[in-house]
Amino acid sequence: MDFRTKPEKIMIYIEASEDSIIAAQYAVCLAKWFGARISAVYVVDIKTLQELTRAKIFVKLEEMDYEKALEDDGTHYLNHVRELAENKGVPVETILLKGDVFAEVAGRMKQDNIDLLVMGKLEEPESRRDFFYNTNERIFRRAPCPVIIVKDSENIKIMYDNL
Amino acid sequence: MKMSQLLSPQLIQIGIDGSSKETVIQSLIAILENNGLVSDPEQAFLDVMDRELQQSTGLEKGLAVPHGKSTAVKKLVGALAVSKEGIDYASLDGEPSHLFFILIAPPNMAGPHVMALANIAQLARSEAFRSKLAAASSPEDAYRIIKEAEMGD
Repeated sequence: MDFRTKPEKIMIYIEASEDSIIAAQYAVCLAKWFGARISAVYVVDIKTLQELTRAKIFVKLEEMDYEKALEDDGTHYLNHVRELAENKGVPVETILLKGDVFAEVAGRMKQDNIDLLVMGKLEEPESRRDFFYNTNERIFRRAPCPVIIVKDSENIKIMYDNL
Repeated sequence: MKMSQLLSPQLIQIGIDGSSKETVIQSLIAILENNGLVSDPEQAFLDVMDRELQQSTGLEKGLAVPHGKSTAVKKLVGALAVSKEGIDYASLDGEPSHLFFILIAPPNMAGPHVMALANIAQLARSEAFRSKLAAASSPEDAYRIIKEAEMGD
């Protein structure tokens, strides 16, 4: 991002959680103030599903069933984010990807030259393993652009409602 | 979701009543029921057994992960039972199973269910972890072993 200018492309990393929706509300506020556009990204975690099948915890049919369920979750949350943005007149693109969550999000940030990443709050890391292997930690630490972590706050909903 | 977040010593049992797959699953569901986590134990049993019909969740190296989706739970729930003697669970390697992690999720909670299963798979790759857990002397001891394994110790 050229820091002499305002961010133009804001990405929201969406998970199937209320925290993501709060982050999306904040991102919509930022986009409105900056005149930016939003891309909301959700990744169906195919890598983990395949690992569960390889570990024989899942059977193939079950893997496909869960893939469909995760895809439905993603579509549901992305549609909600689209509504949040459109209700405030913010241009938005929703993107549903499949694969390794970290690789897909990182790849898309690079491909789209994202200026700012917004994501929901991170879990408190309890070990070095969390720092190195937790997907959200990796996205946060290795993003090629500034990152805003949105913590749960009543103020954000009020801010969004008053936008 | 980590197993230490899903489990507590109250959801861990050392020793199992029963010697067949059906009775093991009933025992595991009884742990959940005793902790107020299952509204309809019979339905939960049928849903977990329905998954067993596709392929045994008795895996290899003493590990069994019975799981399923069920309307009998309101959130993702789990319990662990440990059998030192081992139980014939029709495992994929034909060996007795010693560690039984049950996970049941409501039908609309695929994400946390998948992550919890992945957490079990990751922990159970370690032979040292499996051995320590199979030898746990109490629910508190078992919970500590899980917590330490998640911390990477």
